[in-house]
Amino acid sequence: MSKVITIALAGNPNTGKTSLFNAITGSHQKVGNYAGVTVEKREGVRLYRGYEFRVFDLPGIYSLTAYSLDEVVARDFIIDEKPDLVVDVIDSTNIERNLYLCLQFQELRVPIVAALNLDDEAAGRGIRIDDKRLSEILRMPVVRTVGVKGYGVEWLLDRAIQVFETKSPTDYPVSYGAELEDTVGSILRELQRDAAFAGKYPMHWFAVKLLEKDARAIELLSGHRQADAVKKVVCDCIRKIEEHFGRDAAVVVAEQRYGYIHGAVAEAVRREPLGRETVTEVFDKFLLDRFLGLPVFLLILWLMFQITFKIGAYPMGWLEAFFSGLGAWVSAIMPAGLLRSLLVDGVIAGVGGVTSFVPLIILLFLFISILEDSGYMARSAFIMDKFLHVFGLHGQSFLPMIIGFGCSVPAVMAARTLKNTRDRIITVMVMPFMSCGAKLPVHVLLAGAFFGAHAGSVVLSIYIIGVALALFSSLLFRATVLRGESTPFVMELPPYRMPTLKGILWHVTDKTTRYLQKAGMVLLPASVLIWALTTFPKMPADPAGDVILLGSLRSQIEQDKLPGSGVAVEEMRLSAEARQRLAEMRSREALAFSYAGRMGKAMEPLLSPLGFDWKIGISAVTGLAAKEMVVSTLGVLYKVGAVDRHKGESLREALRKDPVFTPLVAYVLMLFTLIVVPCLASLSAMYAEIGWRWVAFAVCYWSVLAWVLCFLVYQGGRMMGWGL
Amino acid sequence: MTIADLNNGDAFKVKRVVLGREIGKRLADMGFVPGAAGKVVRSALLGDPLQVKICYYDISLRRKEASGVEIEPEGSQPSGMSKLGKRGGGG
Repeated sequence: MSKVITIALAGNPNTGKTSLFNAITGSHQKVGNYAGVTVEKREGVRLYRGYEFRVFDLPGIYSLTAYSLDEVVARDFIIDEKPDLVVDVIDSTNIERNLYLCLQFQELRVPIVAALNLDDEAAGRGIRIDDKRLSEILRMPVVRTVGVKGYGVEWLLDRAIQVFETKSPTDYPVSYGAELEDTVGSILRELQRDAAFAGKYPMHWFAVKLLEKDARAIELLSGHRQADAVKKVVCDCIRKIEEHFGRDAAVVVAEQRYGYIHGAVAEAVRREPLGRETVTEVFDKFLLDRFLGLPVFLLILWLMFQITFKIGAYPMGWLEAFFSGLGAWVSAIMPAGLLRSLLVDGVIAGVGGVTSFVPLIILLFLFISILEDSGYMARSAFIMDKFLHVFGLHGQSFLPMIIGFGCSVPAVMAARTLKNTRDRIITVMVMPFMSCGAKLPVHVLLAGAFFGAHAGSVVLSIYIIGVALALFSSLLFRATVLRGESTPFVMELPPYRMPTLKGILWHVTDKTTRYLQKAGMVLLPASVLIWALTTFPKMPADPAGDVILLGSLRSQIEQDKLPGSGVAVEEMRLSAEARQRLAEMRSREALAFSYAGRMGKAMEPLLSPLGFDWKIGISAVTGLAAKEMVVSTLGVLYKVGAVDRHKGESLREALRKDPVFTPLVAYVLMLFTLIVVPCLASLSAMYAEIGWRWVAFAVCYWSVLAWVLCFLVYQGGRMMGWGL
Repeated sequence: MTIADLNNGDAFKVKRVVLGREIGKRLADMGFVPGAAGKVVRSALLGDPLQVKICYYDISLRRKEASGVEIEPEGSQPSGMSKLGKRGGGG
């Protein structure tokens, strides 16, 4: 039996922590979420020298406050899971700020091995770190590593074994200076009056957290038997400190930590002046130039978009062709019946729907991880922040929202770069207003049918309304359900780094498998549900009616064709066409008879104030599966069969002939499709990012907004006399 | 005088963070502590946010947060005139 060592891998963002994690664990990884939150939990295993290392990759953080979910998760992990040791990954080029986090792990009294990562980069910048001296001062093992190259990993593991086996003492020499230690001491005495409580957390750390007015610590304090007495002492101490130092106690604690670090760094680190600009400074001059920065960013976005959706269309088409071929094959070899219908229209269509997004996700995340790993992502937020801040959004919301014009699924997944929960929720909830690629066929069909030469501008107006609604909604959420101080824009601009192929591939596979897991779980059953809604209840067969209808259809076709062509229609083609028309008629009736059809009819009173009839109601239901389904459902309902066969022309014709449809109604339907609940694929992606409560709220918001806006436009338009 | 009062290219030494609560704490966590040396590198298109160098790394701050960090200007520009940051227009 090998001994198990659990390691929490911690560190600042942009320290190369993920590459070090990959270098340690290879491909033996598992991804999940921390209980109840959307913070990723990565776990990997490595066997080395008869030990089994279980490595947990904590989220990248700067501090251990209650400032962000990531920090709370990291710190709860240390306290609750009690890993055998923490490996703190330190960016050697930026050692002060990185040691700041390291020090807080020391305060938690957990054994630490520090990995001085990016060692090569530091050397290139003239930074000389005396690791022996640093290790002596901070009383913890220090190992040099270069995660990207896998350099130093085995030393790191050796030191970990050593720390594990010798049970290194964890009485680190962290000291906050005389004034602070005095007050910490008096809080400590008060805390230790409840021995059970004092056993639960490292008490010195807990006392410091209380001084820092840490919300979580204050919450936990209620478990103390003499919570009120402790609170009183803490308040006195805070007042004393703030009087003495003339500023916030939490700030004072941070200053003392930095004071201690500066002392250590002064002894162990030497910086030789470079005498030239760093690569990052040169790149920033161009990429962050006041006037060039924005056009360059827009150009990058445009390229990303063009390449993704132009190139992505091919594999998407192949996948769709494959699954429709598979469906046809299954139809051919199986007897007609419910099971076949379930397999072909429910399961295969569902799996096809899930996988057809994969090429887009792969390509988009290829670009996103290049932008992220190179350090440009933070810069794009810097460039855009001012414009978005006006609407209560964050600079980092911009990129996901732009991706939303292509497809909401990767867009919602990309919103994860937003660290603040509130910003992420808002960005995700306004995402559907960025009119996605699947809504475009609906817009094109309706605008083409009713606006002729002006179709282009009409579609453009829908896009503009979408953006306006996104900005408006974000302001509205900020003022109501997600009120609160705007998120401070305190964001590191990391040095530019060459993204590694390994790193990018890892990101892309990771995102893709996560999408397949999450979307598959929701989308497949949903597809079966939509299938059931459009299939059941079955219409009773009516063979006698079929014969009569077939006869009348035949004579109708003959009448239609004879005068025009002057040529007698062949018997074979005549009966074939009549049968096809019958089949279309019957499938139309079956759809109207099904639950979906009934839902459409039931919705009619609700929809008629918008100028819609039950047919549009059905399309709204099937549009849930995928937005382009609105078009194909209309196709079925308007007797034109599958739309792709007829290139949409006959559907346009049929829509124009229907008295329900006027240009006004067509425009309102475009608006409705834009605003109302997005497709199930994006809903499931949203569920993964913001949880079902917010998705449920958003569904209500979108529905109400869609109805109100469409009502106003339709009724307003009629009053202006446009809808006649 | 605060970081928000500086021009692009101006160097400074932090005196203290006057903002309280979470954001003041965060700034201190990120290295804005008394004596820390820094420099305003540039501002974005509309004068906001700012790119600031602190403790050997770059960070971006909005002017609102930058105005919460009191500083001592360091003589990096020989002209030495007291020119309060009007450039960029933000505030």
